[in-house]
Amino acid sequence: MNRSFPLIRTVGLLVLVLACCWQRPRLAWCEPAVESSSSRVDRLLSAEIFAQLSPGQLAPPTGDLTYLRRVWLDLLGHLPPPEEITAFVLSKDPQKRANLVDRLLNDPRFGRNWGRYWRDVILYRRTEERAMATSRILTEYFAGHFQANTPWDQIASEIITATGEVRESGSTAIIVAQAGEPENTAAEIARIFMGIQIQCAQCHDHPYDRWKRQQFHELAAFFPRVAVRPTRATGERGFQVVADDQPPRRRGKKKANRRVRGTLEHYMSDLENPTAQGQMIQPALFTTGQKLDVGVTDARRRGTLAQWVTSDNNEWFSKAIVNRLWSELIGEGFVEPIDDLGPDREPQAPRTFDFVSAEFARNGYDIKWLFRTIMSTEAYQRESRPRRQSADSPFTASRPQPLRSDQLFDVFLQVVEADQRQPDNAFRKNTRQTGPNGPRSVFQNMFGYDPSQPREEVTASIPQALVLMNSAQVNRAIRGGKPWGLGKWLREIEGDRTLVHELYLRCLAREPTAQETKTCLSYVKRTRDRRIAFEDILWTLINSVEFRYRI
Amino acid sequence: MTTTQQNFHLDRCIEVSIRGSSGVHRRDFLHGVSAAAMATGMLSWTDLLVVEASRLRKRGMACILLWMKGGPSQFETFSPTPDHDNGGETQAINTSVAGIQLAENLPETARMMNDICVIRSMTSKERSHRRASFLLHTGYIPTPSLRHPSFGSIVTQQLGDPTQNLPGFVRIGAEGRGATGAGFLGVKFDPFVMRRADRTPNNTKLLTQSPRFRRRMNLLDQLGTRAGTAAMEAQAAVHRELYERAANLVLSPDMSAFDIQQETASVRRAYGETKFGQGCLLARRLVESGVTFVEVIHGNWDTHLDNFSRSRKLCAALDQPYAQLLGDLKQRGMLDRTLVVWMGEFGRTPRINPRAGRDHYSRAFSVALAGGGVRGGQVIGRTDAGGAEVTERPVGVSDLFQTFCHSLRIDASHENMSPVGRPIKIVEGGEAVREAFA
Repeated sequence: MNRSFPLIRTVGLLVLVLACCWQRPRLAWCEPAVESSSSRVDRLLSAEIFAQLSPGQLAPPTGDLTYLRRVWLDLLGHLPPPEEITAFVLSKDPQKRANLVDRLLNDPRFGRNWGRYWRDVILYRRTEERAMATSRILTEYFAGHFQANTPWDQIASEIITATGEVRESGSTAIIVAQAGEPENTAAEIARIFMGIQIQCAQCHDHPYDRWKRQQFHELAAFFPRVAVRPTRATGERGFQVVADDQPPRRRGKKKANRRVRGTLEHYMSDLENPTAQGQMIQPALFTTGQKLDVGVTDARRRGTLAQWVTSDNNEWFSKAIVNRLWSELIGEGFVEPIDDLGPDREPQAPRTFDFVSAEFARNGYDIKWLFRTIMSTEAYQRESRPRRQSADSPFTASRPQPLRSDQLFDVFLQVVEADQRQPDNAFRKNTRQTGPNGPRSVFQNMFGYDPSQPREEVTASIPQALVLMNSAQVNRAIRGGKPWGLGKWLREIEGDRTLVHELYLRCLAREPTAQETKTCLSYVKRTRDRRIAFEDILWTLINSVEFRYRI
Repeated sequence: MTTTQQNFHLDRCIEVSIRGSSGVHRRDFLHGVSAAAMATGMLSWTDLLVVEASRLRKRGMACILLWMKGGPSQFETFSPTPDHDNGGETQAINTSVAGIQLAENLPETARMMNDICVIRSMTSKERSHRRASFLLHTGYIPTPSLRHPSFGSIVTQQLGDPTQNLPGFVRIGAEGRGATGAGFLGVKFDPFVMRRADRTPNNTKLLTQSPRFRRRMNLLDQLGTRAGTAAMEAQAAVHRELYERAANLVLSPDMSAFDIQQETASVRRAYGETKFGQGCLLARRLVESGVTFVEVIHGNWDTHLDNFSRSRKLCAALDQPYAQLLGDLKQRGMLDRTLVVWMGEFGRTPRINPRAGRDHYSRAFSVALAGGGVRGGQVIGRTDAGGAEVTERPVGVSDLFQTFCHSLRIDASHENMSPVGRPIKIVEGGEAVREAFA
């Protein structure tokens, strides 16, 4: 069956691609009877931005092949398997795109992919190295919640109020990543959950925004009683996030070792006299103006903050994640950088932004709803174009996104079939090794980037190129002398042309162009040794620029 | 700077860039480079580019940072206090400079004292490894919102030669907590990290036969670096450039700069066969080949337990290579334009704890500078007799970084733009320690 399948697939694809080109105008999205949030978004975008554009400025809808690869990478961080590509392209179901999104949102890889994303959001900004110990549990924490579609406000509340053993509780990660230090913890809570960078106000009034130094310290005043402490009870060395409502005590008898362990209230230092304790600050949330009394327990402090941050009258809470996900999926945010929303920034398409944010809140902070809504828009389904210049109109096209390290790693394993359970597979045990020296971590050190970083600043590097082009691991994995991966395809697929198609489908989830086929076939002919030639072609595809991007 | 030194640098630059293709040493040829030769077109465009770049490199200033990971004890190295209880069992010895004493653990270094300037009055507030390492690498305290670049990245950005194949910033050894990279300056200025000096850097040794590698690169050029769609043109261009540079690196004979086996046995012996010794030797080779900033890591100096015997061992591994590095650079005429910095993230407590250890201490610690125009044979600053407080000429971290910039002729007030459009000075505040220079 395997022998003939690729051929059928290829012929089928060819026919279909032709058919698609033929009837491209009719491929446009279907309008359901009752207007969905997605079409409302498109209508708002048209009114706000596209109405003024001349034809041609708006990118056309993308074809099924690019769309399929895009959705798979965005939701699962994997490539669609070849069988699925064929089936999807062949399907005439008008709802196939929506059905695909629904199906993938329920795939366990969806939770894992986005769990890793949020792990990176938090841990890339760590100021405390020990936070890396939470890496795994943090990923699982988010993965579980995304899988179960836990509302975003509940996740945020758990993280703001987290306590407990660090290695057992992923929700402690932000606090651990900032060593329980009140100012930095407050800054990260504001940045991640409200998209506000208030930490510049730590030392001075913010130069551009209206928040004042005092207001930053009022936010920090929710956290003076939080601490990260070594766990003593168990035999194993661990750390825990604790609430300390006891008055501070001084440790150590000798002067040189005496340390103040923390205070019950937060003090804002006097800039004129930095060594003095400074002024005691009452906890308050600057976005809503709500205030809490001093003297209340940590549990009440952080519990109250969680309520206020996630309440419907705090629009920033909804906007922060809407802007972030919109930017990840559409390729650019309403506001950039994505975690710096204001208060005095001017977003692109402000009415659209307000609408999606309000609807997200109205739908109970349902994360899958947000994915579904954004991914059903025409805006999501356009062809990609280069990142725009600041004078150009936003959202007229999708934008290429560099794969995150985990996506790239999973795609690579998929392409070389390294996660099969073959006995002498070099990657077999290694892929499950998750420690700091496992290949996934090594990959992460090399290819990882902070997902809050503006994407145009994420650039490839020479050491990255060296890994893919000249590392022992990659060179070993693409060898064609094994019973799986390239070795298997070399045995099972006799025609060179079919094999070229197969490799393109597996590596780039598309068919080669006529020119590409020709180049590959003449390469095979010149090289003479078929195995060597196809190893080189596989090497080339893995090292191609297209492999590294979601288009 | 003298003319010979300038010429020397020109040679070096051009030698490095040309050696790859011809294998011919151009040292002699370039002694004759003159304005006339350039004007009459005797030099190719590439040569000119290199000559220009070398000028821009402020006549070849370079920096070697000997990073003492974990925080070395000042009492057991550059600031012994044998007459005070805090000094513990460590004795002091005379150096080649009358009136200056170092700890007995550093006899070879003591002989090089003429070239070394010790600052005994360093002071900072950071006492956690990560925060202090970050501070002493970047000049800034860590914040979650902005990734400040490591000083090596800044030096490379300011002084590096963009035309060379070799990386501008190389870090040798196991990075500790708070390892810093180029931060917001971008990956271009990230350190090229080598865990060990005695092996070629990761993935730079060709794994396939070179004809096959070239065939692959050729196929990649035809298929894989073309933008599949118009959307990817910019990325494709960057990709093409990166792969070209990576392939050059892999195929380039310049990479032999990384091979310390090419030094004679006697030179290798002089540096010592230890990790740190090999690191120092590699640092000298790299600077000689045009690398701008090399960091060599030595440690771990975190001697909470058993400070005295551990410091003695660490010093034994430090002493000979450090002295040899300074002597070697001097003999090759490179010391004047190579700043050699010896420092860690902080010092250690004056008080000896019950486990014969010393804990983290940042209120008073020591740093040693040599080369790069620094006047050796002097001590700057002073502490009280027990080494607990700075009593004279306190030097903060910003002052220290200003001093580095002064030595390397970098404008410390130069502003780089952060991603949110905030201008960040290379060094914020502080003043160079002028008396460190002649």
